[in-house]
Amino acid sequence: MTVSSILSLFLAIAVSLWGSATSASSDYHEQLFLEPLPQSSLLASFNFRGNTSQQSFDNQHFRYFPRALGQILQHAHTKELHLRFTTGRWDANSWGSRPWNGSKEGGTGVELWAWIDASDDEEAFAKWITLTQSLSGLFCASLNFIDSTRTTRPVVSFEPTGNHPNASSLHLLHGTLPGEVVCTENLTPFLKLLPCKGKTGISTLFDGHKLFDAAWQSMSVDVHPICSSDGDCTVQIEQTVDMVLDIERSKRTRDNPIPRPIPHEQLVCDTSKPYTSEDTCYPLEKGTDMAWSLNEVFGRTLNGICPLTDSNDLSVCLRVPHEKSVFTSQGASELKQDDGFTRCFSLAETEPFDLSIPEQEVHTKPPLDEPILHAERTIVGHGQERGGMRIIFGNPSETNAVDFIYFESLPWYLRPYIHTLQATITGPDGVRREIPASDIVTETFYRPAIDRERGTQLELALSVPAASTVTLTYDFEKAVLRYNEYPPDANRGFNVAPAVIRVLDGENAQPIYIRTTSLLLPLPTPDFSMPYNVIILTSTVIALAFGTVFNILVRRVVSVEEAEALQAQTLKARLVGKVVALRDRFRKKDTKVE
Amino acid sequence: MATPAALPPLPFNPRQVRSYLLRLPLFTRLVLLVILAFWLLELQTIWSVVQWGSLTPDECNLGTMYRLNTFPLIHTGFFHALLNAMALTPLLERFEAEHGTLTSIALFIGPLSTLPAGLYLLIEKMILHSNTPVVGASVWVFLLLGSEAIRTFKTNPYFSVGPYKIPTWTSPLFACVVLSILVSNVSFLGHMCAILVGYVFGLGYLKFLVPPEKVLRWIEGKLNLLGRLPHYVSVDQKTYAAIRNLRNNPNLLFVRLPNLLSLLCIIVGVVWLLLLPLNEYSRHTYISENALLPGQVHAYFSGSEQHIFRGYKQELEGLLSEGQNGIEARDQAQLTPAISTKIQSVLEAAGLKVATQKYQYSSAGITHHGENTYGIIHAPRGDATEAIVLVASWRTANDELNLNGVTLALTLARYFKRWSLWSKDIIFLFTPDSKSGTQAWIDAYHDLHPASVQPLALKSGALQGALVIEYPFEHRFKSLHIVYDGVNGQLPNLDLFNTAVAIAGGQMGFGSNLQEMWEHDDSYEARLQTILRGMAKQGLGYATGAHSSFMPYHIDAITLQPTGEGWEDEMALGRTIESLCRSLNNLLEHLHQSFFFYLLMQSNRFVSIGTYLPSAMLIAGNFTIMAIALWMRTGYHADALSTKTTESAKPKEKSSEKNSDAGKPAEISGPAVAERLLALPLTLVTGLHLLGLVPLWLFNTLPHQFFTLATYAFVAVDIVLPLLLAALLANGSGLTSALVPQQYLLIKSFALLLLGLSLSTLATLNFSLSFMIGLLCAPLSFVSRSHCPSASKRRACASMGLVSLNLLSPPTVLMGVCWYAGVSVEAVLTQAAFGWDVWGMWTQVVIWCVWWPAWLIGCVLLGASIF
Repeated sequence: MTVSSILSLFLAIAVSLWGSATSASSDYHEQLFLEPLPQSSLLASFNFRGNTSQQSFDNQHFRYFPRALGQILQHAHTKELHLRFTTGRWDANSWGSRPWNGSKEGGTGVELWAWIDASDDEEAFAKWITLTQSLSGLFCASLNFIDSTRTTRPVVSFEPTGNHPNASSLHLLHGTLPGEVVCTENLTPFLKLLPCKGKTGISTLFDGHKLFDAAWQSMSVDVHPICSSDGDCTVQIEQTVDMVLDIERSKRTRDNPIPRPIPHEQLVCDTSKPYTSEDTCYPLEKGTDMAWSLNEVFGRTLNGICPLTDSNDLSVCLRVPHEKSVFTSQGASELKQDDGFTRCFSLAETEPFDLSIPEQEVHTKPPLDEPILHAERTIVGHGQERGGMRIIFGNPSETNAVDFIYFESLPWYLRPYIHTLQATITGPDGVRREIPASDIVTETFYRPAIDRERGTQLELALSVPAASTVTLTYDFEKAVLRYNEYPPDANRGFNVAPAVIRVLDGENAQPIYIRTTSLLLPLPTPDFSMPYNVIILTSTVIALAFGTVFNILVRRVVSVEEAEALQAQTLKARLVGKVVALRDRFRKKDTKVE
Repeated sequence: MATPAALPPLPFNPRQVRSYLLRLPLFTRLVLLVILAFWLLELQTIWSVVQWGSLTPDECNLGTMYRLNTFPLIHTGFFHALLNAMALTPLLERFEAEHGTLTSIALFIGPLSTLPAGLYLLIEKMILHSNTPVVGASVWVFLLLGSEAIRTFKTNPYFSVGPYKIPTWTSPLFACVVLSILVSNVSFLGHMCAILVGYVFGLGYLKFLVPPEKVLRWIEGKLNLLGRLPHYVSVDQKTYAAIRNLRNNPNLLFVRLPNLLSLLCIIVGVVWLLLLPLNEYSRHTYISENALLPGQVHAYFSGSEQHIFRGYKQELEGLLSEGQNGIEARDQAQLTPAISTKIQSVLEAAGLKVATQKYQYSSAGITHHGENTYGIIHAPRGDATEAIVLVASWRTANDELNLNGVTLALTLARYFKRWSLWSKDIIFLFTPDSKSGTQAWIDAYHDLHPASVQPLALKSGALQGALVIEYPFEHRFKSLHIVYDGVNGQLPNLDLFNTAVAIAGGQMGFGSNLQEMWEHDDSYEARLQTILRGMAKQGLGYATGAHSSFMPYHIDAITLQPTGEGWEDEMALGRTIESLCRSLNNLLEHLHQSFFFYLLMQSNRFVSIGTYLPSAMLIAGNFTIMAIALWMRTGYHADALSTKTTESAKPKEKSSEKNSDAGKPAEISGPAVAERLLALPLTLVTGLHLLGLVPLWLFNTLPHQFFTLATYAFVAVDIVLPLLLAALLANGSGLTSALVPQQYLLIKSFALLLLGLSLSTLATLNFSLSFMIGLLCAPLSFVSRSHCPSASKRRACASMGLVSLNLLSPPTVLMGVCWYAGVSVEAVLTQAAFGWDVWGMWTQVVIWCVWWPAWLIGCVLLGASIF
């Protein structure tokens, strides 16, 4: 049993519960799943799910469904919506496979994809823009920056999760903002969408300080219709928050958050070393997991259960070995499950709930399942003009090949040369071999970029043999931007959105998604103080040179005697002046002074 | 209407014509006006103006002498007048601009009308006995053309039409003949007379007719002509005079002036550099990037961390002493696999991701191999887009055991892991040595590594900065020595250096040194010495530490070396590094604000590229000036240059008599345009530059034990090769005929042109190298084949020159520098070959393909005087 399968199990239970309660037009469930991970980390996975019937949704009768979001969806004719806010990175080597099989997380920053009901592409895009603008306001995120250059239409990477009767008129649009920083201003609107709004239930544990101190966290909003065979449809909204907290860091009190060196009396030293003494210490790292409680880790206790949920719901679950003792506060009952690792708690309705695990020696550890695929994407090469992309796929399985779709959307200023796509494979024997890319890539969908209009869209169907590592590389060229296209922090580099990998694991199984980390692309950047310098320099040169030359050209240099002689000729000068004046008047011109 | 860009612009620009007409000088205007007036007068029928004013031989007597002056102003019809006026205007305008209005009036009213007229009358009446009246300004046109033709002839004697050479002075004759054929009713004789007078005038025999300047000036002053008359061209305003003077003295222009200018350039260039340490020319350093905020945070690395430091150190020392007891053996300790494993286990225990990388390089017959160990602290909330690197080499740049540095890095790794404020990943890199380890790692990080280097298993994002920690002794230190020079003279952003100085000085309270200037008293001498040391390192372009390898990838890096005996312990160095990392962690953008090109003279004073660049540029410019001058000089016959000077001194003498001893008969006087014989000089210069590839290849591929021998061999080659080449060139050797002097000049011109070009380009990339090579090559501007008539004297001069030039040859300079610095030639060349193979150092290319060929050509030219 794994994190993801456990979560899926809960989902199945929930769905069965929902199935039993299908007579009710709407319902609401929430669940918290906790699992200590290696290296003193704690995975906390929050799930909130509300249903409303399609009829009441259409008539704008909202109960569990947030009205603000529902109206936006109706206005933008959006039938299915997926919105992700993610920071940090999932450390697959230490933590195993991803929660929800990666289906509830997005790439770093903000990721949004939706199926929009429209007659043609243009209309769909117009509605998409409406949707992003509205969501931007709702979630306090820069979603309005998802323009045509950041919008793609993936072909095979995403499938609708809901049931859509008129699937033919639906358009899938996908947009990412890899540079968006997710923070508390996004959490507050997220909480407001919940029926209990963070006042009661598991959502009371959300504290911005702790949530955004997590090593990895992902917030998601999914809206999709679910139809039964007899044609009754409900609209389901599912919100999840997954985070991996560093227990040691989270336990630091807010008034003393600095990890100062501890007093030397408290140092845990390896006394087996002969040199260990008063002032010499080889640190001994602890073999046991750290003690923690909800209150310590989240900074607050769980404030009862949300009254809108079924009181029989097992809303808090914990995955630790059964032999480990767990203390809970009064009023909560524990239910251990058969797998030997999972236990769930039903909470008292109004009592605050806390859960604490003391430090203890336990010999069994819940198994971590190996991720089905490792993916790493980096930019290689250096210089202002060209670079290369290198993507490494590792298949840890000894027996099965992995088939998957690799999807990346590149900004237009990164111009890939697809003809340079090369593949190397390192088999189980550890020998690197160059192979034609077509041996690995079974299908390619490539839509090239148009400068300043749309980005590159690349979808590859790949297959990595068992116990092998495949490296794909291609070269790219960096475009030179116009000076007004650079952001204020141009020298930081430009974010390239993470690639999305969809593993095709059987026909009916839940899709598995993996996302790579986002990349920073350094572009040729002008020295922005240079225009200023150039303006100053040229102005000076022009002022000096032009001034002098003009002066020389115009001025008549005469000696003093000559000047007197000039003045003596008053009669002639007067005459000439009068003639000039007369002529000018004749020509109806203003008198000019030479 | 806009003309398409592809079409050439209109040759005729109405606006230009208008402004030209508006600027016509006075006398030209008067003449045109009179021509117009006479034409208008002709329109009436009562009084025939032509009959009145034409130059009719029969009508001429004492009473009608006015005809001698009026005939150029009178025309027979509108087209006659128009064409003549159009031809005359530019010529007359130029004449007046050159000679002044008064002179023009005096000449054109007087001799320049009467002389051709008189000549015409004489021939027409006395010899031909006919009576053709002539009229029109064409006489002046041809007169002026004639005088212009003589002047052109002096600078440019021949037209070449196929194999025939036509003297340029014949051009007016051609015009005259063509005109006579094309247009009917043209007085051929009249035009010929005018041309003849024009020739005479052009040759200067009519100068006595020009009124003396004194008189003209007196008249001008008295009458105040300048003030009264518009468009008056004063005597003083005579343009072209000075230029013409110079143009008439090619010896000054092509021989003496360039020599003076080149010498001046070199002197000013050197003096410029010597001025830089002064307060007026240098600046205080300052932190340009506001985000860095150096020393604004409290560094907590102290207390019990020191216990852990001691623990780690004991652990590493324990591994050392297994095979290496005793102080000396300890100093030679290499990074064994056991130590590498220990480092990995410590990093893993601290929670870092750890990986290793094996590498192997071979250069000059020596194989360098090792294994890098590195660990990455993932930024707690980061997404692997940016990273900082901390490097601790097992052996320092001076090849000492860096045990404290490595231990400090390990302790810091454990300490940094606890902090949640890192916005960038921190990579701790442990390399076996300072020369190759970081290079292998950084190459592999960018996927640009050779096959003998393993790729990296773990990576992070774009590297923003790198710090190298060295602490190769056991005692406490006094101050921090910051090493910043990169490969090929690249430098880190000045902000990084400034941050280190600010943190060491401001926050930590100990000083900082640079360029091994332990006693810097802020005097001019100390500053200059610091600059020169920096320039020497930059010019040689070798890696001065483990940080140097980062620079080619645009990653700013410095090495921190504690020095001296003082009170600061390793914890102080640790706090410095903590504070530096915190500053780098603050960076929102890649370091870009401050200077990348600078010379430091003190930890808080620098000069930027704008201030120091002219120094090297002037020195490089001296070669270009000389090359251009030589090119222009080769356009004339060498003897013409020398005779012209004597001729100008004694204009009466015939130059043809004086040229007899120069070996080449000179047919005409004045500077003679020579055809340049380019093939041989071009081939020679290109060939010698390509020959530079041979030593470049040799010195980078030979096994190291042969380097000393090869250097001696090259000294010998440098003595023999120029003489051999010179003898070949001088005697022709059957392949070609012996070289003429012009070809020697051309060879020198091309060599200097290439040298100047390369050095001025190089100055923008590696100022110091360009400056050094420029100075070493400076004599090459002034050496050439000697012209001394006495053979023995010439040979003595040339031999002396050759000996002194050989003292400045690349191998001799190398040996001299090695002797001065007390290092072996072999060590230097091994290092250089290593730089070429591993670091990507380009210094050798400059030495062997820029300096050596230029030097060789200088020697060949000198050697040619012997033969």
